[in-house]
Amino acid sequence: MINRLLLGFACGICVCVPLLASAAETADKNPPAQEQVIQPELDRRDVKLPHIDVDDIEVGFYVGTLSIENFNSQSVKGLRLAYHVTEDFFIEGATAKSIISDEFFRSRAFPITGFDKQEEDLTYHNISLGYNVLPGEIFLGRRWAMASAFYVIGGVGTTKFAKQSHSTFNFGGGYRILLNDWWAVHLDMRDYVFNSDLLGQNKRTNNFEATFGMTVFF
Amino acid sequence: MRFLIFFLWLALCAFSVAHAEEEYARVQITDPYIELRSGAGRGFPIFYVAERGEWIEILLRKTDWFKVRLANRKEGWVNRAQLETTLTEAGVQTAFRDSLLTDYLNRRLEVGFAWGRFEKDPVLAARVGYALTPHLFAEFSISEVTAVFSNSSLHQLNLMMVPFSDQRISPFFTLGVGRYKNSPQVTLVNAPEVSSKNANAGLGVRVYLTRNFLIRGDLREYMVPITDNRVDKFKEWTVGLGVFF
Repeated sequence: MINRLLLGFACGICVCVPLLASAAETADKNPPAQEQVIQPELDRRDVKLPHIDVDDIEVGFYVGTLSIENFNSQSVKGLRLAYHVTEDFFIEGATAKSIISDEFFRSRAFPITGFDKQEEDLTYHNISLGYNVLPGEIFLGRRWAMASAFYVIGGVGTTKFAKQSHSTFNFGGGYRILLNDWWAVHLDMRDYVFNSDLLGQNKRTNNFEATFGMTVFF
Repeated sequence: MRFLIFFLWLALCAFSVAHAEEEYARVQITDPYIELRSGAGRGFPIFYVAERGEWIEILLRKTDWFKVRLANRKEGWVNRAQLETTLTEAGVQTAFRDSLLTDYLNRRLEVGFAWGRFEKDPVLAARVGYALTPHLFAEFSISEVTAVFSNSSLHQLNLMMVPFSDQRISPFFTLGVGRYKNSPQVTLVNAPEVSSKNANAGLGVRVYLTRNFLIRGDLREYMVPITDNRVDKFKEWTVGLGVFF
């Protein structure tokens, strides 16, 4: 067995050595045109695709006045979160807090059902779809130009006060001014429509709101 | 006041993020030329044009618009279509393409809201879904029903089976459990509050619209055991809009 292996090995050497020798000879006679004498020490290139900051989400707060039909106007403060799907459309979720007072009815000895005290908290939240209908630029003097857009917006949500919830539609419009790439101010007018039976009769109410807001994009 | 603090904190975060990443992506233009606009929108005026072969830095992206900086420090907004075939420093083609049907089919996370009727009352729902496999989704949803006499809220955990998940229009079946809570409006006297487990079954259809948008319609029946020998059934239909990532 070992003999046979040795024999095979010897045969192999016999065949290979002349072949290698002839190969070396031809290499010597015709040196390749592009022989690399020095191996360059190249750093491996980083092929990672660079990260790009995408600013499609807008978050911020707003303050303003909310007027509730049959009741009164009170200050309102809220938070908004928007996702800009295209340059035209955006989806906005908002939640806000205000106060509703039955002072008028209470002063006439007719407190409204559900009002434990004169002033009750009012909260609403909604999801809306907005469309930038009039995009543009505004100019402040010679040096400043800021992108802006007038948008129309509408959606659905819930309004809660005096232990009652009301399914609410909202629609309106607003004006957004981008102070720079990531900071914007909003002026927004909205009508919140819901049915209420607090005054004994179930009827549709229109509740207007005007707000000023600030948002950041990230 | 809390809002203000939160907002200032947020603004600070955004500011620090914006300034932490001073190193921007550099790409080489391969289109014959690109147009720089003064704002991120198709109506803004073109004020400069950069040629093929120039190197540009990408500072920011907003929807389909990229804010770029040229070698001569000019900055402007370029549409994605003109940057679609740019090359990175390593000679690799960049991937500024649109979300496509294939992205929709490979989506993992889906967020959406829906509006419809729960029996005859308006219902508003928000939901988050996660694709366990292409044919199986887990979904959590919160619905709120505001009616004349009472309000209901539903928290649901659903499993969604999607038999033809590779289609643009794909039907699905859902099965789920959750909690049903019904509280009467204050104008109603002596009405009890109900809180109970519930089970639901439904079917629906999803339609991929464009980019990362989809619309969805659902029909569902809820079974709510009120007492040991009374089970209330509620039918619901909703239409909704979703965004996937």
